[in-house]
Amino acid sequence: MTEASLTETDLIQRAAQGDSDAFGDLVRPHLALFHNGIQRILGNSADAQDALQDALLSIHKDLPRFEGRSRFSSWGYKICMNSALMFRRSRVRIQDMERPEPLALGPFDAAGHHTETDRRPEWQVEAQAHDLVERGELRDCLMRALDELPDSQRIVFVLKDVEDWEMEDVARHLQLAPGAVRQRLHRARALLQTRLRDHVLGGRP
Amino acid sequence: MTLLPSCHDVQTHLTEYLEGALPFHRRLGIGVHLLLCRVCSGVLRGLQALPWVAKASLKAPETAPEEARRALADVQALLRKGSR
Ligand SMILES: [Zn+2]
Repeated sequence: MTEASLTETDLIQRAAQGDSDAFGDLVRPHLALFHNGIQRILGNSADAQDALQDALLSIHKDLPRFEGRSRFSSWGYKICMNSALMFRRSRVRIQDMERPEPLALGPFDAAGHHTETDRRPEWQVEAQAHDLVERGELRDCLMRALDELPDSQRIVFVLKDVEDWEMEDVARHLQLAPGAVRQRLHRARALLQTRLRDHVLGGRP
Repeated sequence: MTLLPSCHDVQTHLTEYLEGALPFHRRLGIGVHLLLCRVCSGVLRGLQALPWVAKASLKAPETAPEEARRALADVQALLRKGSR
């Protein structure tokens, strides 16, 4: 067993017995991860702050039940995800109308074919996105684009494409038919791709 | 009249195509269109890249932001109150 895991085990025991400093030392190294997971689901909102607090209290309460079968960070992250999903379910949402985001990127002619194929700069995602991703330059663009999405599409994209949930699990959690999940996922992907492409190609706002 | 689906039709169904949710003849039509159309195949590559682009771009920063640290401090304060 490593020094680090001994220390963590020790902290878990002390925190479970009510030592708030130990709890702080235990959680602090993972706090950015926990907060980030919640923020991806709820956006940059007061809810995210409340969901994090709620999750931290649940983590503390459940510490005696933590058996060390998974890493503390994964176990805690799961609790944070549950908290975020509960907040999302319960918060009063502005009627989440399905806005008519395009399902395709266009522009098209009357027959539905591309009109500007030759003039249009091509989206070479492999070549163009790698460097930008490495330099962290797409984070703000993506966060803004995620905030643009209706909540019902954002949640599907985050669970499926970012958290790697299986399609069936997303459908079950949201109580939707798989076809409806795919449709929302597609709308989300189409908008995000449009925003990213515009950002990367430096064209339209 | 062509048997191949239009660009609009193809792009509208790319997620279903990727998820294997389309019947065989639709899959085939879209597959052939993608072989012939560089714009739609570019859109497909963009869709396929989104998960890794998003995962890499939206990963947690090194340090927790101020509001997260405040949430932890509040919880610690509650714990101290509770243990008294
Ligand atoms: Zn096409």
